[in-house]
Amino acid sequence: MNQEILFTTENIGKTYGVNTVLQGINVEIRRGEIVGLIGENGAGKSTLLKIIAGVEQPTVGTMEMNGKPFSPASMLDANRQGIGMVFQEQSLISNLTVAQNIYLGRERDFSSFGLINWSRMNARAREALNKMGLKDISPKARVRDLDFAMRQMVEITKVLDIVSETANNRALILLDEPTTVLSDAEMAVLFEKVRQMKEKGNSVIFISHRLQEVLQITDRIYVFKDGRQTAEVRTEGADEYILYEKMVGRETNGEYYVSARQTVPGADVVLEVENMSLFGSFRNVSFKLHKGEVLGLCGVEGSGKEDVCGVISGDLASTSGELKVRGKRVKFASPGDARRAGIISVPRDRRDEGIIGILPISENISVSNYEKNAAHGLISNRRQDRNAREWVRSLSIKCAGVAQRVSNLSGGNAQKVIFARVLDSECPILILDHPTRGVDLGAKGDIYALIRDITEKGFSVLLMGDTLDECLGVSSRVIVMKDGLVCGEFDCPADNKPDQVDVVKLML
Amino acid sequence: MKTFDRQAMTVAEEFVSKVEREARSSLIRVYAPMILLVVMTIGFSIYDSHFFSMKNLSNILGQMAVPLTLATGLTFVLLIGRIDLSVEGVMGLVGSAIALLVVNSRNSNDWGIWGVIVPIIAGLLFGLITGILHVRLRIATFIITYATGTIAAGIAVLLYHSQPATAKAQWIIDASRTTFLNIPLITWIAVAFFAVCCVILNYTAFGRAVYAIGDNEAAARASGINVSKVTIQVFVLSSFAASLAGVLALIRLKLGQVSLGTDQMFPCITALVVGGTSLAGGKGGMLQTMVGTLIYMELLNFLTIIQVPADYKKAILGVIIIVAVVLTLTRGRKTIAK
Amino acid sequence: MQNTKTGDFRNVPEGESWRSFLYRNIYIFSAVLVVSVFYIINPSFLSLYSIQNITREMAPLLPMACGIGFVLYTGCIDLSIGAVASAACVITGLNVADVGHWIIPMMLAFGVLIGIVNGSLVSRIKLPSFIVTLCAQSVYRAAAIVLSGGGSQNIALKQRYLVNWMSAIVFGLPLMFWISLGIVLACLIIERNTKLGKSIFAIGANEKAARLAGVDTVRTKTMAFMLCAVGAAIGGVMYAYKLKSSVPAIGDDKFMMAISSVALGGTLFSGGRGSALRTLVGVITVISISSGMNMAGVDPLWNNVVFGIVLIVAVAINSEKGIRDLIIK
Repeated sequence: MNQEILFTTENIGKTYGVNTVLQGINVEIRRGEIVGLIGENGAGKSTLLKIIAGVEQPTVGTMEMNGKPFSPASMLDANRQGIGMVFQEQSLISNLTVAQNIYLGRERDFSSFGLINWSRMNARAREALNKMGLKDISPKARVRDLDFAMRQMVEITKVLDIVSETANNRALILLDEPTTVLSDAEMAVLFEKVRQMKEKGNSVIFISHRLQEVLQITDRIYVFKDGRQTAEVRTEGADEYILYEKMVGRETNGEYYVSARQTVPGADVVLEVENMSLFGSFRNVSFKLHKGEVLGLCGVEGSGKEDVCGVISGDLASTSGELKVRGKRVKFASPGDARRAGIISVPRDRRDEGIIGILPISENISVSNYEKNAAHGLISNRRQDRNAREWVRSLSIKCAGVAQRVSNLSGGNAQKVIFARVLDSECPILILDHPTRGVDLGAKGDIYALIRDITEKGFSVLLMGDTLDECLGVSSRVIVMKDGLVCGEFDCPADNKPDQVDVVKLML
Repeated sequence: MKTFDRQAMTVAEEFVSKVEREARSSLIRVYAPMILLVVMTIGFSIYDSHFFSMKNLSNILGQMAVPLTLATGLTFVLLIGRIDLSVEGVMGLVGSAIALLVVNSRNSNDWGIWGVIVPIIAGLLFGLITGILHVRLRIATFIITYATGTIAAGIAVLLYHSQPATAKAQWIIDASRTTFLNIPLITWIAVAFFAVCCVILNYTAFGRAVYAIGDNEAAARASGINVSKVTIQVFVLSSFAASLAGVLALIRLKLGQVSLGTDQMFPCITALVVGGTSLAGGKGGMLQTMVGTLIYMELLNFLTIIQVPADYKKAILGVIIIVAVVLTLTRGRKTIAK
Repeated sequence: MQNTKTGDFRNVPEGESWRSFLYRNIYIFSAVLVVSVFYIINPSFLSLYSIQNITREMAPLLPMACGIGFVLYTGCIDLSIGAVASAACVITGLNVADVGHWIIPMMLAFGVLIGIVNGSLVSRIKLPSFIVTLCAQSVYRAAAIVLSGGGSQNIALKQRYLVNWMSAIVFGLPLMFWISLGIVLACLIIERNTKLGKSIFAIGANEKAARLAGVDTVRTKTMAFMLCAVGAAIGGVMYAYKLKSSVPAIGDDKFMMAISSVALGGTLFSGGRGSALRTLVGVITVISISSGMNMAGVDPLWNNVVFGIVLIVAVAINSEKGIRDLIIK
């Protein structure tokens, strides 16, 4: 590794509306260096990579590549300047062959009179694959016939090939969680290739939830928290515990989560999950949810917690196991069934799955319980509006009136509309999937207070928090999941919250 | 605090096996149409020994010209996940216009070769306009092509005012009589067009872009493919296929009227879907198109042999296409169909 | 700004530009424009006789347009309504002499059945609606032709009394027009005051969100297709009563007219917005165009070209500009 600086960012920040997701980022990448980025979900790691790769534009700050100002207008632009990104969700075209994927959009190099010379393209792809040491991947193989590890390799080969056209071993490759779908053996191969790239003078930024991997492959690690860069660690001499501490270690403010009003859950079990499994997602999950309880589900993305909630809310069908609501066995074919049984969810992706954007606030609130405003089978729009105005008042939703389109509201207010909807449905069991994601600080506080209000009234909540801190702060009890299995459980009484490091250790 | 033991087999392995299982079932779907074609041919031959006779086979191939041409053009449209309902109208318009511009029974026009070129250009214009309207105004293709198809058919009817012209140009009469190896010239033209499109789809950057857009439009855009441009080109190509089909149908029937195109598109979509081209885009190809068209032609021929009335045939095809779509559908509980 | 209804358009921010005001109310302007143009060309366009004629033309189209409206509100399409109307017209024309007025409930049941089949294929098996209804179109068109033997058949003169009442003039306008207005009213109530109607709009506006909010998407979509097919069947019955014969080709151009009416009414083709009241105005515009062109001596062959263009323009004007990042196929 030499000391020549390849790439720097200066005070990079990103804001969506009122919501700051990234702030004051100064990273420095040297030639031939592998740098790790770690942090909780939503800490801003992926956002930073997307900015560097030209997928998104920073709100403030500048970047430099090879000592020259770097502000890519698009991913292609970044590619031309020597920066390429391998995405978490793969972007290969599964119906095309390996060679066709590597040179997609760049076929002109192989065409004469508009016709592509496949053997020339395949030969070039062979070379590119050989350079990566991928001698056993045929350039003519269809991508859909490759396993995930191989696809990942092809994707990296593609990115490297695009970038090296101009960069000449001065490339910066961004890997966003490349290992989540790989087995241990496949991962070893990947790491081997990454090291080879490094030997040649290329640099790599590596994001992973698995700290052992990060320690194994990187030279230096940046730790991110809440959109800020909080620490820089040299990998040499570091261990997992040091990283855990740097990742969490925030003073939790009991007042922030209104812990004083945290309920002590009653003895009545309202929801019971027994040995539930979903093939390929999670296995043998069992837990009980009590009346008035906030039960937190912790785990990194892909740990299976999302699908557990999906099954309980009727969105997915489990492969085996039982679900009991107030002691009665149930089986849901749709979220509508779950709602009738008294379970309703606040979805994670507000824009896509939460709000019904082009409809007014009043319709959005009453969609889960039209019957409430009906008499003799007909719905009274006046009653529906009156009902909506009451919710707007009691949740202090800022809007021009209940006739306003929800898509015109800010994130926090739109989220409150969805809370009004689930409360209006009068379902006693709520599944809150990242209820504070993309919500400003004030609205966050309102939502925490609201959770306290409803649990005092005897509602039960299953919570997937946006951060671990939030999950522990709000919940009375948490369950930890890893790789599809429940691996731990902690009580979280208001006056004695468990240590975050202990929880993170189980998650990762 | 309680800690549970981890189990030996990982959920990640389950996930991988699930994906592999899906890949296997999609492989079956690729080969099923070809097996069906073979089974059908054998079955029909056993039922009626005349089916596999040289005479009947050349009869089947003789009727294949128009469906094959249209299906070839529509393959591109379906591969990018769109639909073109305007082909019938464009086909009728081009056929009617040519009949009125060459030597014919209605007027004294004799434009010679321009009598073919001008209508084809008009046909291409429809594809161009459709493509631009779809890309710029972002109107769903089934609605925009339905509208442009209706307009094309409407213009065609206005051209001949309910008195269709009979084409009397010598070259049309000659072309309709010419055969090679007992197979009519128009079928050879269709096969040649099919071959050219095979090359376009398999040996050009455009062809790769078509697959990429159908499979993953966002990724295609990220790879630097001009999705709008390719989409417009696909609609132009489809309208060229429709125009060519109009010419071929005119050569066969010599009467220039809108009904040249009527009921032509539906069998083609049947053929494509039966062949294994997905309506969602990305899956299919020229081989599938050929297999599907052959299946359709054999079935049609067989229904004629066992003397099913024409109107029942249409209804039967309607049911077949639904069944075929169901079988080729990629299952997903949460997919939304509009 | 306080009184809101599903599919209503009053939910706009204050201080809107004159341009968006124009766009929102373009359905009224286009109706007024079309009527006044034809009135200027031919003042007898608004004579009582002409108005009776126009309303008689409107009557069968109204239930079809309102019916397909429900499918469009969900973001789907039903290409088969013309063929269903043809089939209903043929069956009614052939059998009304034998079964009398029982034919009407029978045809309603026929519509329900067709709608359930189409709707189930779309909502349960998740097939694209345009392909399902394209197939349905070929099935019912074939049925209409096969049943009628290929041509129109008049209802025998001595049986005419069974169907004449529908064309009687009541309060200055044909009875069948009043019936259709009643159907529009019923559709309005379904849209604004029932769980079904509101669920339909919710699905069209955001199907994923509606499903997670507990809306029964399968049942609701099936019901939308059912209402649509029933509307088409009523349209077919009315054509049979109006023309006093069974006409197998009657529905061929009616899909285009119905969908143009709905588009002119400002219905969003991606779903979630629209209203039967506005469709009524759209039907007035469409029938005015076809009748007006007819009275002005324009060749009726122009109809398809004109409605094709009207449809494209109307859909383009009303498309939702805010959802431009979606991939539209």
